[in-house]
Amino acid sequence: MDSLPADKVATLEAVARRIVPEVAGLDAGGRERFLEIIDQALRERPPAIRRQIAVFLGVIRQAPRLRFGHSFERLGAGRQERVLRWLQDCPVSLLRKGFWGLKALVFMGYYGQPEVWPEIGYAPVFDARDKLHG
Amino acid sequence: MGERRVDIAIVGSGAGGGAVAKELAPLCGQGVRIAVLEWGARLEEHEYTGRELEMARKLYFDSGGVLTKDRTMTLAFGRAYGGSTVVYTGTSLAMPPEVVERWAVPGLEWQDLHQRSLKYLAENSVHLQEEGLLNDNNRLFRLGCERLGYRVEQFPVNVKGCRGSSLCNLGCPNAAKQGTHRVQLPAAEARGVEVISNCKVERISRGECQVTVSNPPYGRPSAWEPGRHTVKAKVVVVCGGAVNSPALLLRSGFGQDLPALGRYLTLHPALILVGEHARPISNFHGHPKSFYCDQFAASHGFLLETCMYFPFTTSKNLIGFGPEHSELMRAFDHLQMILVLALDPALPGNRVRVDRGGEPVVDYTLTDTVLDSLHASMKASARIFFAAGARRVHAPAGRSFSIAAGDADRIDQLIPRSNVVPGRISVNSAHLMGGCRMGADRATSVTDECGQVHGQPWLYVADSSLFPRCSEINPYVTVMALADRVAERITSRAGELLTR
Repeated sequence: MDSLPADKVATLEAVARRIVPEVAGLDAGGRERFLEIIDQALRERPPAIRRQIAVFLGVIRQAPRLRFGHSFERLGAGRQERVLRWLQDCPVSLLRKGFWGLKALVFMGYYGQPEVWPEIGYAPVFDARDKLHG
Repeated sequence: MGERRVDIAIVGSGAGGGAVAKELAPLCGQGVRIAVLEWGARLEEHEYTGRELEMARKLYFDSGGVLTKDRTMTLAFGRAYGGSTVVYTGTSLAMPPEVVERWAVPGLEWQDLHQRSLKYLAENSVHLQEEGLLNDNNRLFRLGCERLGYRVEQFPVNVKGCRGSSLCNLGCPNAAKQGTHRVQLPAAEARGVEVISNCKVERISRGECQVTVSNPPYGRPSAWEPGRHTVKAKVVVVCGGAVNSPALLLRSGFGQDLPALGRYLTLHPALILVGEHARPISNFHGHPKSFYCDQFAASHGFLLETCMYFPFTTSKNLIGFGPEHSELMRAFDHLQMILVLALDPALPGNRVRVDRGGEPVVDYTLTDTVLDSLHASMKASARIFFAAGARRVHAPAGRSFSIAAGDADRIDQLIPRSNVVPGRISVNSAHLMGGCRMGADRATSVTDECGQVHGQPWLYVADSSLFPRCSEINPYVTVMALADRVAERITSRAGELLTR
């Protein structure tokens, strides 16, 4: 992954496992696709967006030290989830919007993979006329 | 740097640019040279794969996720041979008279607009799909509305030979949707209009356009070699859409004399809402958008439409995360979806501007009134989902991730207004309007009622940026009707404009 430094990628993956639990079960190919999709999306965005995402991942990593004494990656699942829910509902709009953007990236990395579509029951076909009714 | 000479340059090839190109094409028979300069690519048929991220990358600006400056909304607009008509669902409505009255543009009469709209409805093969082609997702919406006594209407659509792929928003893989890439552009090319794909117009000035041609790794190579070109043109028609048209004019320096340029942007702020049924329903098979409900347009300022989106788009529009989010996504083939469109006011502070590099920046604030509309729409949609038999409903502003059918009578308590918070719920837009609004007053408008930029007889605008207020309906037919007026004006003045 070229668009984020390694420590930020580690935080990203830790956050992703809370946002989409299935990310934890991805095989090597799935994990590679997950990171490649996010990497490509970030590379196509303006540099300022990449920097903001990196800064925001740094905040997520370090902020829990104040409350729990450990970085985000070293928290248990329950505490990680509490941190993320606080960000989602945060009264500070910058943090709320940052979390929304990060969450969208994680969803893109996972649900953007055609390989996971069968697991959620999504099976598009070009000619669906015989699939409309029963 | 190469130099090209044309008589008329049309910037953009969507509903506006395509219509203008086709209407002006007969001039080619008199020796007039016309070029359409399209930023996006012209895909080969086999490149319409229906894969969400791949097609979004090829057919939309920023993959359909252009952010407003304050990051509270994402904007989806097309970039392709055919513009946004490649990626809309083809719902085709002519503008009702009361909206044209509210627009109050001197010289723009509903009867004139309507006659032109009817021409495009016929040209684009618009019709109502037969009952057997409607899927469960659409039928359940109609059922829910009917059970509640809400007014519900079927959308006419512009498809020929639709096979129900449901992939309209990713470019129809069956060539069924009758966008400008299927109808107006080929007709224009047959009469001699040249369409130059992969061609970004950087700046315009009287007599010329500065453009850059750059071929992406997909689609046909541009007819012009990569690099910078100067395009000499006697008339320029800007049809880049409500973000890129004002941005092009602003970075070309026209903002100094036109204080309204870029302003009065309206977006029909949208929500994607989801209800889950106990059984699988046909939702991602069949045309995605067959019905709409305008019951609340006058009273609460929103429209409801059927819709069906793809896994990533759906996932990011659900509030929340973790196991409950995953569980709902794993019921994808049980999901019924409703699209909300809020009817937003035209305000001068909602606008497109350009940064130091000339890139567009969209300043848009969701007003309390619009947030009230979105709140009311969530409650109305929840009632429709439950009336259609949904077992639970996901409301982005709900007190919990989902509301069970057993709590259907407590919707007002379970979806509080206080939870409708920008940046927490996903708000999108695919109906971008205004920024080069028509009018008679230079202080509050950019063009006259036929799209001519005030004080610039060689410069026209022909796209949704002309709208002085939101359209209150899906806008593309109105864009084509307005473009028809622009083309007629240019044709009527061709002798004067083209002999300079």
